[in-house]
Amino acid sequence: MRIQHLRRTSKRKWRLAYLWDLLRSLVDRDMKLMYKRSALGIAWTLISPLLQLAVFVFVFQIILQVDIPQYASYVFCGLLIWTWFQNALFQATGVIISSRPLIRQPGFPIAILPVVIVTTGLIHFLLALPVLVVFLLIDGVQLTPLVLILPLLNIIQFALTVSIAYFLAALNVTFRDTQHTLGVVLQLLFYLTPIFYDLSSIPSEYWNLYGLNPLVHLVTCYRQILIWGVQPDWVALAIISGCTAIALPAGYLVFKRQSLRFVEEI
Amino acid sequence: MQHGIVVENLGKWFSRFHAKKPVTFMEAVISGLRQMKPVEQFWALRHVSFTVAPGEMLGVIGHNGAGKSTLLQLLGGVAHPTEGKIQIRGRVGALLDLGAGMHGDLTGRENIYVMAIAAGLTRQAVSRRMDQIINFAELNRFIDNPVRTYSTGMMMRLAFSVAIHTDPDVLLIDEFLSVGDLSFQTKCLNRIADIKEQGCAIVFVSHDAGQVERLCDRALWLRRGEIVAYGEPEVVTGQYVSEMRSQTQQRTPHRPPQLTDAGSTLKVNENRFGSLDVEIRHIRLLPKAAMRSGEALAIEIDYQRQQSTIASAIFSVSVSQADGQKCIDINTSDMGWATVPLNDQGILRLSIDRLDLVAGEYFVDVGIYEQDWSYAYDFHWHVYPLTIESALTSKGLVIPPMRWDVVAENSLSEGAGSESVPQLKV
Repeated sequence: MRIQHLRRTSKRKWRLAYLWDLLRSLVDRDMKLMYKRSALGIAWTLISPLLQLAVFVFVFQIILQVDIPQYASYVFCGLLIWTWFQNALFQATGVIISSRPLIRQPGFPIAILPVVIVTTGLIHFLLALPVLVVFLLIDGVQLTPLVLILPLLNIIQFALTVSIAYFLAALNVTFRDTQHTLGVVLQLLFYLTPIFYDLSSIPSEYWNLYGLNPLVHLVTCYRQILIWGVQPDWVALAIISGCTAIALPAGYLVFKRQSLRFVEEI
Repeated sequence: MQHGIVVENLGKWFSRFHAKKPVTFMEAVISGLRQMKPVEQFWALRHVSFTVAPGEMLGVIGHNGAGKSTLLQLLGGVAHPTEGKIQIRGRVGALLDLGAGMHGDLTGRENIYVMAIAAGLTRQAVSRRMDQIINFAELNRFIDNPVRTYSTGMMMRLAFSVAIHTDPDVLLIDEFLSVGDLSFQTKCLNRIADIKEQGCAIVFVSHDAGQVERLCDRALWLRRGEIVAYGEPEVVTGQYVSEMRSQTQQRTPHRPPQLTDAGSTLKVNENRFGSLDVEIRHIRLLPKAAMRSGEALAIEIDYQRQQSTIASAIFSVSVSQADGQKCIDINTSDMGWATVPLNDQGILRLSIDRLDLVAGEYFVDVGIYEQDWSYAYDFHWHVYPLTIESALTSKGLVIPPMRWDVVAENSLSEGAGSESVPQLKV
């Protein structure tokens, strides 16, 4: 009995070590593929949000003159979070179809694929973090110990993105235009998230509908701990975590079923 | 417990969807979700049971669509059985679409890591085996170049080398032997024999019965998802091959039994050629297919028209020796019969008043051709044997009626042939 138990735990340990290796090698592959052919390499991760930031600053500080303190930090923070969310969802949606050889591999844990994509996004986010810190310092923000909550926010966003990715990737097997549709939806969602405008300018009668977008709360929480140095909106975080705790296993099952169906159909 | 693979009463229910099954939201909405339902459902596999012990190799043969790939998918766990169960002990490795998971922009070494880890090895285990994998693939000098600079052969070698070095307990192989050149193929086979000896249970899918017979310890023959035969490779592949042959025979027209007595079977594209728009149903050699030189022979061609739009044709008959030497080669057109009108079926007879060929074995080849000779409707080549006997042996082709005579010439009194030799007449 005891030996069997020991063997089972060691087997589980081996399995976890293997999954970690697999995740690492697939993320490594994706990073390498992304930068192999670009002369700028990893710097490209920063250039895109920086350019976006420059445009927003020009439009909303010089043309429209929106009154938000520490505007550069405010927008850059939102952009980093949004970029991670958007890119991960967009790429993960097509992942079943683009990873056919891996899916056909016996014993391959298919469900790791969206996790790989979201992890790659997280790495980009972390790589850009020092730049955000520079902006914070330039804007005269005092960093508080609350910054240490950042990993928690990352974990919540990670889990949320993976859950949604599972559903979208599964849907894409049946409807191959999911990715295109998603592109449009994400663009709309970008404007419905307080990235370059202030949350307080939302009229209260729209708040209930507007607040359904989880990104609204996540972005706000990030800013609360990074820029404003106040406690994050714990209620919102709890609700998002609760929903994710249900959506993640459900998405996982749907994803697994659909990816098997995909292999069988062809 | 001692089995690598145990499959019991396995079944897989498949749905085939409408070819125009909507693949986008818009199409689905427009067609009202009607075409989302499968149009055809069938058992891709049914009642399949077998076991493969460690160190044993099972060959699976069958035609396309017999369920071979489905079986591999189920064994690999990438599809779920509808009924029955599969027990597999240990890790499953696969040689399926080799090289499909490679990335051209990564180097050979980077690809090895990705492929081998995806196949179930830990990073550490891959590092330990790295040199072995590179050596086996014979890519030492190129291993740090991007794979896109490799030739197809190099890529296949790399992919095969990775797959074969993952030390699986169960290995699934799908028609792999087109990998690289002949010497590399031998190397692969040796390596497969090695891991088999180390206790790996192997399932090898092929439509090449010869390969299965050579390599496997047992064979399984699948037809339309069900087992036809399972057992000794020689027996199973033998049955498979003879079944294939008889199926071809079924597609050829019925022939009188006296002609099959000669042991010749009619095979499309082997001794039978043509579109079969007009078919030769019977050929009768009259009075019989064995005759004496100089006797009369009639060849009756019993034809059937499959395409009623064909109004006329050319009939051709040739008599040739077994080595292909043609002794007679004639056709209706050359003999001044410009068009032979066709009925739905009919008989055409060629009468040869004397057939003065030397003794031997011959073939009567018969063809029906399109009016412009552009192609054959049906041509039977070396199917109908003809035996000619003769009292006289001769090295030439023909023995026409002939005789020797001594010609007595009175003016040549001291001529050589003055004895009175009797006539020698054939």
